Parts: sequence; C-alpha cells; structure tokens
Amino acid sequence: MKVLVAEDDPDIQVILKMVLTRLGKCDVSITFQGDQVFPMAKANHPGLILLDVMLPEMSGFEICKALKADPETQSIPIIFLTARSMPAEIHEAMTLGALGYLAKPFDPMALVGQINQILAPLKISIGA
Amino acid sequence: MENQQLSFEQILNATVRMLRTTWKAKLCLFLQQDDQGDLCVRACDGISTGKIAGLRVDPSQGGIGQCFAKNKIVETDATTSLGALSAVIKPYIRKDQKFVLVPVFGETRVLGILFFGPFPKKEKILPREAELRSAGALCAVLSAHWRLYQWMSNFVPQLNHELRTPLTAVQGSIGMVLGGMFGQVGNDVKEMLEMAQKGCERTVRAIEEYINTQNPK
Repeated sequence: MKVLVAEDDPDIQVILKMVLTRLGKCDVSITFQGDQVFPMAKANHPGLILLDVMLPEMSGFEICKALKADPETQSIPIIFLTARSMPAEIHEAMTLGALGYLAKPFDPMALVGQINQILAPLKISIGA
Repeated sequence: MENQQLSFEQILNATVRMLRTTWKAKLCLFLQQDDQGDLCVRACDGISTGKIAGLRVDPSQGGIGQCFAKNKIVETDATTSLGALSAVIKPYIRKDQKFVLVPVFGETRVLGILFFGPFPKKEKILPREAELRSAGALCAVLSAHWRLYQWMSNFVPQLNHELRTPLTAVQGSIGMVLGGMFGQVGNDVKEMLEMAQKGCERTVRAIEEYINTQNPK
C-alpha cells in the first residue's frame, strides 16, 4: 500500500519510514511541509495518510479539511499521528473526518497493529 | 443546587451588572487594555463587548489617559474626554450628568478602567473612593485570572507537544532495537535499553498526569 506521511521531525521521519517499510510493507512517501500534502495526495493517490498536526505552512487540521473537501482525495483514510493529544484536539481531528488518532510517543513495534485496528472497518490493512 | 460552571466572561459580566445595580447606574463597562495597547470592552452591562475602533490609551490626553497614567479616579461629562468611547455611549450622555472612570490596578500598573454612569453632576461620587477602588480591585483579580486561564489554555497543549515529540524519537529508537529490527542484542544491552524505555514510559505517564491535573476548565 502507498502511504503518505506528513511529519516534520527528521528523527521521527526515519523511525516511521523504517517501521512502515519493513513491518508495514508499505511504499512510503514523506513530506515535512504541510502545504505539500494535498498536491502529493492528488498526484500519488495513497491508500493511507499519516498526518501530524503541527506542520510548517499548513496545520494537519487544515490539510485534513482540504483533503475531505476534494472529491478526488476525500476517500483516502487519514490517521493523525501527533503529539497534540489534548481531548479537544482529538475531538477536532475526528470531527474533520479523520479515521483515527494515534498519540505520540508510539511503540514502533505495535504501530502497524494499531494502524490496522483503525483501518479494520474499511477492510484494508498494511503489513500483509 | 445545580453545580453550574460559569465562564470568565459570564463572571465578569455578572460582576459589572452587580456593580451597575449597586451604584444605580445605567451603564457599567470594564475596559481592558490588550497587548497592542487598544482598549476592549471586556465586560459590560448596557452595550456589546468587543473592540471599539480607535480607542487607545493616550496618557497625555483625556479622562482615560489620566486614569491610566495617574491611577486616579476621574469624573467626566463624557462630551470631549473619552475619545472613541463617547460615540459608543452616546445614548447615555446628558448635559447635566457625568460618568466615573475607576482605574483597575494590577500588581504594578493600571490594567483597565471600570466605567460607571451616568450620575447627576451634583452627586458626590469621589468621597466613596474606597468602594470604587474595591470594585476596580475585584475586576483586576478577575482579569488576572482570565489572562492566566488563557495563558494556561495555550501553554498546556504546547508543553504536551514539546515533551512528547522528542520522546517519540527516543522511545521509537529503543523500541525498534528491543523489538529486534536490527538483530539480537546482548543481555546487558537489552537490560540497559529496557531501563531507558521504562524511563520514557514513566515520563509519558507523568506528562499525562500533569495534563489531567493542570488543564484549566
């Protein structure tokens, strides 16, 4: 599965790339810039987007809103993976149409399982 | 009795309503200076809250300036000395009446103004300075709490984010090594990494406990 990751921390980028590639068997594209997510999603049609909230140029919430408003990208499942984990922030993400919310820090060895749990209602998974 | 939690806005509005009633005034406003130096109607009983265009504190000018610069209670007929505020309170202005401006003094400076009126010009208001100052002090306390609340509302999520982000890299790297992604590690190394991982987990729990207790509601 093609996965688009929006994450601005270079160390976390390395961890996510490694986990999603090796354990999730995913084809991973990463961007650190918020305003790049929407064009990348339109160009590459990923099967899943992992989205941080605090990103340069455009916040994860703004990106989620834009993706859900466009017919071409609105069906792409979005999972927030972020350190912004206050109840109000989780609520906002879910209201905007995200499929799930994972709080940092995460256990890299459990991440694929957690993502699959969120993707289960859509009958899709990674790592197979 | 229902345990209803009031917002600071509601508390401040209730306070100015109480002051207006106590002083038998038609209008009571709490004007607060924001970080840009503009005056906002923070609470009121009579007109709507918000920014009044062009209303700034000029220490050298008018009743508002005097009140701010000298921490002095000022009486005014409101026809010339209130700048942009005069237009907003126009329906309340009468020739034979006056308004009172009470400085809302914080720890070191005047934070805003409590604005009462109108009163008949002959009514002696200034002899009741202690009462007026107490009313100003009440607004100062409420205002300080409000600012603290706003600061905490931004600070707590920011702190949560700033602590969790570096921990993600630390815990993630340790987790991958312990999970065997780079092959097996010796028992001594494993023991050390497990200790580091427990430390990370303890820190995350501490952050969560802090967030749960400090998040202002």
